[in-house]
Amino acid sequence: MKVICDRGALVESLNVIGGVVAARTPRAALTCVKLSAGPDGLSLSATDGEISLRLGTARVETSEPGEALVPADKLQQIVRESIDPTLTLHTEQDVAHITGQDSKFKVFGQPVADFPAIPQFKGDADFEVTAGELHRLIAMTIFATARENSRYAINGVLLERDKKKLVVVATDGHRLALAKGTCKPATDEAASAIVPTKALNLLLRLFDDADQTVRVKIADNQILFATDQAELSSNLVEGNFPPYKDVVPKDGDKKAALSTDLFISGVRRAALLTNEESKGVRMAFAPDGLTLRSRAPEMGEAEINVDLAEFVGEPIEIGFNPGYLLDALKVVDENQVHLEFKAPNKPGVLRTGPNFLYVIMPVNLQ
Amino acid sequence: MPTIRAILHVDMDAFFASVVQHDQPELRGRPVLTGHDGPRGVVSAASYEAREFGCRSAMPMAQAKRLCPDAVVVKVPGERIRHFSAAVFEVLQSVTPLVEPMSVDEAFLDVTGSVRLLGGAVTIAKDIRKRIQDELGLTASVGVSFNKFLAKLASDMDKPDGLTVIAPGDVSRVLPGLAIERMWGVGPATAKRLRTRGVRTFGDLSAMTRKELDQRFGKHGLRFYRLSRGLDDRPVTPDHGAKSIGQEQTFDSDVAEREHVRSVLLGQVQQVGRRLRKQALRARGVTVKIRYGDFQTITRSGTLDRASDLTDELWGVARGLFDDWARAGFAPVRLIGVSADRLEEGGGQMDLFADPKRQKRRMLDKAIDVIQDRFGVQGVRRGPGRLR
Repeated sequence: MKVICDRGALVESLNVIGGVVAARTPRAALTCVKLSAGPDGLSLSATDGEISLRLGTARVETSEPGEALVPADKLQQIVRESIDPTLTLHTEQDVAHITGQDSKFKVFGQPVADFPAIPQFKGDADFEVTAGELHRLIAMTIFATARENSRYAINGVLLERDKKKLVVVATDGHRLALAKGTCKPATDEAASAIVPTKALNLLLRLFDDADQTVRVKIADNQILFATDQAELSSNLVEGNFPPYKDVVPKDGDKKAALSTDLFISGVRRAALLTNEESKGVRMAFAPDGLTLRSRAPEMGEAEINVDLAEFVGEPIEIGFNPGYLLDALKVVDENQVHLEFKAPNKPGVLRTGPNFLYVIMPVNLQ
Repeated sequence: MPTIRAILHVDMDAFFASVVQHDQPELRGRPVLTGHDGPRGVVSAASYEAREFGCRSAMPMAQAKRLCPDAVVVKVPGERIRHFSAAVFEVLQSVTPLVEPMSVDEAFLDVTGSVRLLGGAVTIAKDIRKRIQDELGLTASVGVSFNKFLAKLASDMDKPDGLTVIAPGDVSRVLPGLAIERMWGVGPATAKRLRTRGVRTFGDLSAMTRKELDQRFGKHGLRFYRLSRGLDDRPVTPDHGAKSIGQEQTFDSDVAEREHVRSVLLGQVQQVGRRLRKQALRARGVTVKIRYGDFQTITRSGTLDRASDLTDELWGVARGLFDDWARAGFAPVRLIGVSADRLEEGGGQMDLFADPKRQKRRMLDKAIDVIQDRFGVQGVRRGPGRLR
């Protein structure tokens, strides 16, 4: 195999593919990237056994088609550190030669046959969605996943599709983010899947154009995403997603609307005088405004007043982890957020328009 | 210059004896000794009537009875002590979260931050005394000062049922004449040594320069220098700043029945869980401590899958540690104890999805806590189950 590549484009592709490659594994082939050169150019593949990615790289000239398996981290480092505008990749047997104007690297690879077969996107997609829409749905929810949790299948994100409706849900057991969007379905059959957080983070890095089409297929405990340039597949998280519909409150009778920016500023300042992330900020909502109070016994106290654009219902005082609020407020793209409460020991809801919903369990203010 | 702190030392008056007299009105006005009336028996408290005969707490019971033959010796039910202790601490906690328990009947409070909220430190102290009297029918002596050492000194000055303030301006008047035994950390032996060197009072120490003190007392020089001048900057450290929460018990005689030791351990786990829950703490680690008759002490530690304050989950680890040890070779036990460590805050965050099993355990713990708060630890108990 022999190709001449644009170094800049190759660096970008290797950076993305590096996110898949298994960090620690006894299987040497899984630490490698598979290079496949054909008439259409060069494609890079990697897998960690759960998630696989195949990525085309732009601006490549193939002079000799073929395949090779090269250690991913070494290849990435060499290409990144090189100074040439183009590099020549040439492989013979299991050895890769990377040649620049003033440099020659010889890197020992692995037999191509050792690389596992990775799932291929075959046939029609279940549905199609624009990269911009999918990006929005994932970015508005993925932060709410559990960093470490084995209790429920919540170290993944739930994707639910019913006809044109696409719903993405994530939760860590204390808060839950839900975003709704639309897609172009190819089948009428509803489907749902819990996708590992790592796969979705990788997916977000594949998008460079909001208008490009992403084809999605769910089959055999796997989900596959395809764009013109890339194919990502992942095993699904097994188990049941917690019954999220049950915890979305519908009876909040105390409703407030306020400026997103003012709310962020207020919560950030009140959070300064909480000593643990898990310690709550006390929020008193009333017709004449919102008062945020925090207290750290050995440091002091804070009180911040925030104007409300609107308030309906009885005044309420409720405590929240400020970090949980800020996580959601950071991804909100509207100028105003709507809040709904029922009682200090019942979940609160934050909404922006009909397409984003965030349920957050309060902190006991005892 | 740091701000002047407002520290209270709250000390219940003859706590054990007062609890007995509270529960048994016929004993009021009579000399009462509490504690175990046996060969190893020690006085846990002497009522003020018994103190007039020279009886003191920590005195061997036999000696106390010789001093005051008319004294009534009673064994105080532990659950009554815990009940009253919990009630006292509830009063204290309502004033400030900065409560450092010294024992079941004694605590320091840092009310610096509450002063603006609740009025001056003296007002707070009066209020605490009044509430303990009204709500519990017991008396407490309170010392008010600007550090722990002086607050403790103050609470002792007008006992029982007293309130004493040592303000910064009082230090030069109050301290110099005090006998050296009153100094923190100076017991009878040290006091005797000091007296042979001509030191009888605080004043004898404060008259010396730092250099002289260092030369004469070496590593104790600095402490003597500071305490004799009423200087003490130790913070009030509440339980929730603690690294671990534990409980242990020394048996009257070595216990050879492993099931008995095991059930005592369960009772301790239950109490440790209760303290965690009260303070909204969760533990990641559990350590079991075992001391043999020959004073050899071993500890065994384990880790919880996730931080917990649930008795069942803490007991799961403690039981495993104990049973492993017992299986490997049980020997009669002089002391058994358990502590929860690697503490995390954040018990206040509620869960979105109820884990039915955990929910049940939490409700059970809550129910047991309520019953024990009202009726003492004997009110309800868990069975330890079989040794596995």
